[in-house]
Amino acid sequence: MVEDIRALEDMARQIRMDVVSMIHESGDGHPGPALSIVDILVALYFATMRVDPRDPSWPDRDRFILSKGHGCVGLYATLARKGYFSIDLLPTLRALGSILQGHPDVNKTPGLDATSGSLGHGLSIGMGMAMAARLQGRDYSVFVLTGDGELQEGIVWEAAMCARTFDVGKLIAIIDFNRFQSGCAIESNNGLLPILPKWQAFGWHCQEVDGHDIGQILEAVRLAQRETRAPSMILAHTIKGKGVPFMEGDNSWHKRVPTAVELSEALAALKDRA
Amino acid sequence: MDALASTRVAATEGLMELAASDPRVILVCMDTVGVLKADPFREAYPDRLMDVGIAEQHAVAFASGLASCGMKPWVAAFAGFITMRACEQVRTFVAYPHLDVKLIGANGGIAGGERDGATHQFTEDLGILRTMPGMTILVPADASQVREAVLVAGRTPGPTYIRIGSGRDPVVFSRGEPFEIGKIRVLERKGDDVAVFANGYVLRRALEAVRVLATIGIQATIVEVHTLKPLDVDGIAEVLRRTQAAVTVEDHNIIGGLGSAIAEVIAEQAPAALARIGVRDVFAESGPAGPLLDKYHIGVDDIVEAARQVVEKKRR
Repeated sequence: MVEDIRALEDMARQIRMDVVSMIHESGDGHPGPALSIVDILVALYFATMRVDPRDPSWPDRDRFILSKGHGCVGLYATLARKGYFSIDLLPTLRALGSILQGHPDVNKTPGLDATSGSLGHGLSIGMGMAMAARLQGRDYSVFVLTGDGELQEGIVWEAAMCARTFDVGKLIAIIDFNRFQSGCAIESNNGLLPILPKWQAFGWHCQEVDGHDIGQILEAVRLAQRETRAPSMILAHTIKGKGVPFMEGDNSWHKRVPTAVELSEALAALKDRA
Repeated sequence: MDALASTRVAATEGLMELAASDPRVILVCMDTVGVLKADPFREAYPDRLMDVGIAEQHAVAFASGLASCGMKPWVAAFAGFITMRACEQVRTFVAYPHLDVKLIGANGGIAGGERDGATHQFTEDLGILRTMPGMTILVPADASQVREAVLVAGRTPGPTYIRIGSGRDPVVFSRGEPFEIGKIRVLERKGDDVAVFANGYVLRRALEAVRVLATIGIQATIVEVHTLKPLDVDGIAEVLRRTQAAVTVEDHNIIGGLGSAIAEVIAEQAPAALARIGVRDVFAESGPAGPLLDKYHIGVDDIVEAARQVVEKKRR
């Protein structure tokens, strides 16, 4: 485990460089939604989760589900940097025969714990994983990272409502609150906001953090892990496209490929922050 | 009056037996404990009956999470609520990752849903599931066969759907008849004039029709196709090559189910004249099972007439 925040931030920067490079090289992918979750991924995989990249199916490992599967480029880079597979495979994103599918396929990519991509399913799947832990007497945690837009899916609220029934305290969800969905700003769309009071009403243990402050994320996750009965929800305020100035807050980068010039500009900006 | 036995009770009996020998067996309900008559399961294994509320999509995704961590979840609800309301969850989170999740769909067919009306009579479930790679689809004929199917499916890893009925289901087989996934069962071979392929509780009507056919000089072979997927293509083709005439009998839309499956084998493997008996692409209505099936052209007379016509067509 890396406990040094500075080292974690360096890892996040490296993964952001991987993300923009992968999307440029493969000619397809979602940079904005991948960049907003990188600090959360680094906090989990490099300073929280009990996992062993040499044994991806270890039954006692902590689980992670990327419910917003379209952010997978960030996850693939994280898994490669963690050592699940070679970083040389990252440029094969979305290529024919690649282990790195357009959206996560649990049977193709080492380190994935769930297939995802169709929005809204992470919490339900995670709840099943947490129940399995209890029945088997294992003490692993289940982390679910959801988008904010995907909370509009009905199944999310089926899970929200059900979680207290089973007291799945080992289920820890984090919302990537970057305030944009594919086609518009979250605010402009419907009655989703405010988010946290809804989870509080369903009995979840709720916290709010800056999703780009790794120290804050780690602290919230530790508090969540101490909660044994109620499932946890952490609302992480993030910026879509975080780390690449011309992508930050510009929703055209939800799914868009940087040109060669844009890629070098992005990499330069990420290096500058070191 | 046919003897009746509940396919729902039988499903729960099978699950109880599986649960007794395997602590990984879980029953996931959606306020469907009553539907499955699963109270005995809940009493015996309170920690292993999980009622998630009226939330089918969540239930299937939840089961996917359980299965991915080594449990053996069975999801039980009305056929259409699993295969239509939770269709995508079955496809993307059970079939695609090929997880060991079992699905039990009650009220299969118009007789299965009988008095509840079209919202609860499901004639699309099999057609929908047939298009999902890796799904095993079982349509047992009666209660004793449902129990056997549950036991066999429980010992066979992979996503599986078992279709059951209303709980007032005609008895077709004597108890203890073995159930082998993926194999047709030739029940009677009076002759090779025509093959009658059937599955589910309407198999009883098909058997009766074959007896009537014998009295008018048509000697039929009756074949049960309880496994709609993986389909026993070789076994079916072999029968078809002998008869060159076929009638399919199912309580499902004639589009997508057994009739379609046999038509595919006929088209690709063994040309034959074909008539499909089933729901003729309409929504049905409330009513007692017997008269309901008669009204929607799944009567013994309909089967006999269809067989007569395909035999005539073959001879032309």
